[in-house]
Amino acid sequence: MPRPDGGLITETNRQYYAGAQQFFSANAGSGQTFTSTFDTDLVFGSSDPANSQFGLNNFKVFTSATALTWVELTPVSSQTTGTTNGAGSAAGASNVIIAVANVNVIPGMVISNAAGTVIYGTVTTVTNTTTFACNITLAAGIPAAATALLFKSAQPWSELDNIVTIASYLPASTYIKFQLSETALQQNYGNYEYTRLTDVIDNFLIAYVGAGKILPSVKRSDVIFHAKRGLQEFSYDTLRSIRSQEVTVNQVNKAIIPQDYVNYVRLSWTDSFGVQHTIFPANTLTTDPFSSPVQDNLGVPTQDNFDSNLTGTSQTEAAWAASDPRRISGAFENSGENPELSNQNSLYQLSLGQRYGLNPETSQNNGWFTINEREGVFSFSSDLQSKTLIIEYISDGNAYDLDARIPKMAEDALYSHIAHGILSTMANTPEYIVQRYKRERSAKLRNAKIRLSNIKLDQIVQVMRGQSKWIKY
Amino acid sequence: MAINVNTVYQTVLLILNKEQRGYMTPVEFNKIGGQVQLEIFEKYAEDMNQQLRVSQVDLDYSDRQLNIDEKLSIFKTSDTSTYSTSGFILPSPYTGLSSASQLFAGVNLQLIYALTGNALTLANQNAISSVFVADVELTPAQYSITGGNLVLVAQPAVNAEIRVNFYAKQFYRLGTVIYTAGAMPIQELERVGTSELYHLLSSNLTKPTTTYPVYTYINSFLNVYPTTIQSGISVNYLRKPIDPIWNFTGNAQYVFAPATSNNFELHISEQTKLVLKILLYAGVVIRDPEIIQIAAAQVQQEETNKKS
Repeated sequence: MPRPDGGLITETNRQYYAGAQQFFSANAGSGQTFTSTFDTDLVFGSSDPANSQFGLNNFKVFTSATALTWVELTPVSSQTTGTTNGAGSAAGASNVIIAVANVNVIPGMVISNAAGTVIYGTVTTVTNTTTFACNITLAAGIPAAATALLFKSAQPWSELDNIVTIASYLPASTYIKFQLSETALQQNYGNYEYTRLTDVIDNFLIAYVGAGKILPSVKRSDVIFHAKRGLQEFSYDTLRSIRSQEVTVNQVNKAIIPQDYVNYVRLSWTDSFGVQHTIFPANTLTTDPFSSPVQDNLGVPTQDNFDSNLTGTSQTEAAWAASDPRRISGAFENSGENPELSNQNSLYQLSLGQRYGLNPETSQNNGWFTINEREGVFSFSSDLQSKTLIIEYISDGNAYDLDARIPKMAEDALYSHIAHGILSTMANTPEYIVQRYKRERSAKLRNAKIRLSNIKLDQIVQVMRGQSKWIKY
Repeated sequence: MAINVNTVYQTVLLILNKEQRGYMTPVEFNKIGGQVQLEIFEKYAEDMNQQLRVSQVDLDYSDRQLNIDEKLSIFKTSDTSTYSTSGFILPSPYTGLSSASQLFAGVNLQLIYALTGNALTLANQNAISSVFVADVELTPAQYSITGGNLVLVAQPAVNAEIRVNFYAKQFYRLGTVIYTAGAMPIQELERVGTSELYHLLSSNLTKPTTTYPVYTYINSFLNVYPTTIQSGISVNYLRKPIDPIWNFTGNAQYVFAPATSNNFELHISEQTKLVLKILLYAGVVIRDPEIIQIAAAQVQQEETNKKS
């Protein structure tokens, strides 16, 4: 189905794949409006590429007479010219009369000389196609001679709440196209997998709340609260909302914790092949103390003249940063830099990790990390300095507007979560009702976890084939 | 849909006059009629609340919730709310001008008649209108009020008097408040109390947004949050029923004048209850306890039937 036909899909194939929406304007005129039906909200900064706010736009506007060759609508593409009839115009409120009729001149256009180097003023009202009431700001006015003028709109189009107003004059039978930017387009791809949280809230209010239902009335803010809390809880263990970030470990062996970080899934560094090497937490080896007060000779913490504790540099952190991890892991060579098996031919490399009695937790050469809560950073062992780091972590689904959505596989579980959340906090709800919804929530959440665990038969078969191999002990 | 005021008045008089019990003047009738209409109207909300707690039969004409909603629907209206520094102003506030009338007599035959004075003022306020041509009321399809003019669909007869009456829409009870911004989805605002507003504003999860705005309702103003919303608010509300008027001409004998009278706005199914309740008050006026007793018993029986 290339076009929406009343189902959940509201975008055409062209809108989804190409990020383009086309309109046809049968009538000529300026100030025409066109309504976007993209799933993505339009963002507007300016319609002038020379304006610093233009970069905020997440779309562009094009016009065409044939729908084959498109021209971006900008102040330059919509500018028009005219030559005065020689009468000249004085400074202040004054009429500008051009010799040849021009329908493209609209109120708000800036009038300049043909080269655009001298600004005369702006058009305030269009009296007719040759006469324009203007505000001439140049003290000398427009000279009393046939003067070539350039009329240019500062903003040929604008956008508010997904309605685009094209200030420029459009001839009859003009095609207009909105083209989403690459980033906006990519954010929209695969969106059908999700239901927006706003839809979940509205659907819940429709289906679960009302006269004769289990919830006769409920405050919408309660539903919003439980929906957002549900999304947070689901993000931690049910949803596939693993985020990842590639950064470089800095010169002091640290990397800043991502802004929407809640907990880590895995930290790894990548080698020259792009292969990931898991970095392990240095739980049993070291830590980053939250506070390291400066003590006097008797060991008593000291304060400054504002009564705040004086703090010093952590000796533990300094010692850890200066240590050689190979002396802890037992690795003689940092062979992780050379992932090719053909090069690992020395005796020591082959026997790495095979020596009797070693602790596997510390006998590895991928490095260690700690979380420095005081500074809000991940700290790494010195062998990871300047390495490319991949931080895989989970967020809570509420950090950004785009996060406020839930996989359709878990949508029903969220409804049950909201229903249970509200019923369990309402006075006079029979306990058996609360228990029923508690069980329902639990069952649906389990279903959601199974669905989202992405177990595919083909993959299981492939793994099971490995069982037939001979394994020597 | 309305209940003819003359039918009600004549029925009341007929019952009262039986056995020469008494008489009710038009002035008394108009006052009592207005009182009874408001009484019945006000009870709809309570009745609806009661019926919402009872399961209904899904059968045509017998769903009590739908029946009450049908009676209320006559008074449901919607208007935009304008922004001021104190908040959004409720639509249709009472300005002191509750009704106006304009007569077009001896005018040339035409379709468009320019309104003037109070009639024009109320027409611009989108007031409720009724038009009579030669004392015959036109249906809404037979005329329109546009741009300060009365526009008739068909030419009136020669020398026919045209009277247009306007009744100001008066705000009665607030319903839902809606926020519309361009092509964005329309959002209903949630009504919150002042005490919870401060908690809402400081809560990171439930803070009002343009997607889920809230409002407080204080002193006839709607204070909308987030405060960036300064337009696009429209209000669904119940308007007050227009007072019934049984007007007359002549001095020696009252002759009903339909063009200057005003019908009861209640749903036509309320006619029996209306007559009974007016009789109840009439019994008080003429000091006849028997009338009061009979009317009260009838009203009670009707109520019991409706809610059992």
